[in-house]
Amino acid sequence: MAAPRSFALWGYCDRGWSRLMPGCRLPGFRSCWPGCPLGARLLSQQKRATETHFGFETVSEEEKGGKVYQVFESVAKKYDVMNDMMSLGIHRIWKDLLLWKMRPFPGTQLLDVAGGTGDIAFRFLNYVQAQYRGKQKRQVRAQQNLSWEEIAQKYQNEEDSLGGSHVMVCDINKEMLKIGKQKASAQGYKAGLAWVLGDAEELPFDEDKFDVYTIAFGIRNVTHIDRALQEAHRVLKPGGRFLCLEFSQVNNPLVSSFQVIPVLGEVIAGDWKSYQYLVESIRQFPPQEEFKEMIEDAGFQKVTYESLTSGIVAIHSGFKL
Amino acid sequence: MATQLLRALGPLRLLQRSPGPAADVPLRAASHGTSLLYPEHIPTSPLQKALLAVGSAGMALYNPYRHDMVAVLGETTGHRALKVLRDQMKKDPEGAKILQERPRISLSTLDLGQLQSLPEGSLGREYLRFLDVNRVSPDTRAPTRFVDDEELAYVIQRYREVHDMLHTLLGMPTNMLGEIVVKWFEAVQTGLPMCILGALLGPIRLSAQNLQVLVSELIPWAVQNGRRAPCVLNLYYEQRWEQPLTSLREELGITDPPTPH
Repeated sequence: MAAPRSFALWGYCDRGWSRLMPGCRLPGFRSCWPGCPLGARLLSQQKRATETHFGFETVSEEEKGGKVYQVFESVAKKYDVMNDMMSLGIHRIWKDLLLWKMRPFPGTQLLDVAGGTGDIAFRFLNYVQAQYRGKQKRQVRAQQNLSWEEIAQKYQNEEDSLGGSHVMVCDINKEMLKIGKQKASAQGYKAGLAWVLGDAEELPFDEDKFDVYTIAFGIRNVTHIDRALQEAHRVLKPGGRFLCLEFSQVNNPLVSSFQVIPVLGEVIAGDWKSYQYLVESIRQFPPQEEFKEMIEDAGFQKVTYESLTSGIVAIHSGFKL
Repeated sequence: MATQLLRALGPLRLLQRSPGPAADVPLRAASHGTSLLYPEHIPTSPLQKALLAVGSAGMALYNPYRHDMVAVLGETTGHRALKVLRDQMKKDPEGAKILQERPRISLSTLDLGQLQSLPEGSLGREYLRFLDVNRVSPDTRAPTRFVDDEELAYVIQRYREVHDMLHTLLGMPTNMLGEIVVKWFEAVQTGLPMCILGALLGPIRLSAQNLQVLVSELIPWAVQNGRRAPCVLNLYYEQRWEQPLTSLREELGITDPPTPH
C-alpha cells in the first residue's frame, strides 16, 4: 500500500539506511538526525552482530529472516494440508475462536499480518457478511422498512454486504501470498480484500489506520518480536485492538508431536527440515505471561490472554488506548 | 548425445519427484549434542523411524512417483540387510576396494566424453545409451538421511547409484514393468525389505496383461539370475567401463531377458 506520508526519520546505522521508529533501538545511540554524518562514528561503536535463535540453532539476526523465508517458501503449497495434519483440524476451531473473540462489526478495518494463506481474512469476511444479513433479517422481522437506498441497491445487486469492512492481508513471503490469492479466487472472495507484501517489523502503512490487528501463528517467526509489537501499536487507531494467536508452552503433549510433526512433513511434503524448524520455533517462543509483558511494553493496555486446548495455543489481546 | 543428456538433466524425473527440503536450513549438530555422522544425516528416534517406515510405505503406494518415499522406506527398514551387504562387500576383494575408496556415480564424477568414445557394446556406452533413451540422470538420487551408521549410509547410497547399472545389465527400461523386474532381482540379491515390499506390492498397479507377462516369464527369470549372480554391489563399475556388456553378463551369469521390450 502507500508508503507513510508522514515524515520519516532516516538514519544510517551499520546495517545501512533504515527508517527510525519512535523508540526503536539501533545499536549505539538514542536519537538520530537525518543527514548527520553518523557513518564514521557508528562504525567505531559497532557492536558484534547480535545473535538470535532459529529453532534450536543459533544464527545471526540477519540470517534468521532469510532462513525463515526459505522455510515458508518451501512449505507454502502444502501449508494448509500440514496444518490439518499437525493439529488434526483443530486449528480451524482456534481460528474461529479468534474471530469470535474479535467480534468485528461491519465497517471494521482489519490488518492481518503474516496472514499469507488467508485463513483469518476469509473468516473475517464471512463473519461480517453474516452479521450484515442477520441485521437485515432482524430489520425485516421487526417490520422496519429498509431505506429506499437499500432497496434500490438490492434490486441492482449492488448492496455492500460487507458494510464497509475491509481486510488487508500482509505477509513477508510471496509464495504464501500467492497461495492465499489462489484460494480467494477459488472460494469466490473478491470485495473487501487486499494483499500486501510487507515485513511485520516495518509495516508499509500509515499510523492510526486499522481497527484491529491480528497475527495468527506468525509472530514466533519474526526476528524482533518487540519491533513487530511496536509496529502493531503504531498502525492501530486509538481504541484499536491487537490480537495474537500463537502456540504456547505446554509440558507433555508436545513431546510426542515434536517427534511426529517432522515425520509428517517428510511423508506428506517431502520436507523434514522445515517442519523440524517449525516445532523447534514453538519451543522457543516465550510463555503466556512473558509474552503478555512484552505486549504491555509495546504500549498496549488491558492485555489479557486465554489458553485454548489446555495451553497448546493462546490468544493474547491488548488495546491501544 | 552428451549434450542431449545434459539438457535433459533429469527434468522428467525431477518433475516426478516431490519438492526437496528447504535450501539451507541449518544442521543442528551443536545444539543436538550428537554430532552428525555425515553431512546429510538427520538423527531420528526409533519411534520416528517406525512412523517414517509406515508413512513412506503408504505414500509410495498411494503415489508411485514419490521416489523419495521409496528411498526413505529403504533407509528406515534396511538396517539388518545393509549390515549383511556390508560384510559381504568386505569379504570380496573388489567390494572391499569400493568400501575403501567410496566412488560415487554422478554427472560430476562421470566423464561423459570418455564414455561416449567407448566402443559399442561396452558397459560405459550402453549405460550412457540407457540414460539417454530413458531420459534419466544419475543426479536425481536423494542423499541418504536416516541411516545411523556412516558406512551403511554409503552402502545404501551405492546401492541406489548402482540401480541404473542394473537396468543396463538386465536390459530393462524404466517403465513400471521394468522397475518391478529390477526390484525382484534386487530383492533376491540384497534382501532389503524395501526391495521385497516393492517387488511384492508393485505389481498391484499393473494391467492384467502386463501382470501375466510378469508372473509367467519375467519374475522367474529375474529370480533365477538374482540367485545365480554374485553380489552386484561388489562390482567396481567405474573400472569396468570398457568391458563389453555381454562379457560382463556372462561373468555374472545373467541370461538375456525373455522378451524384447
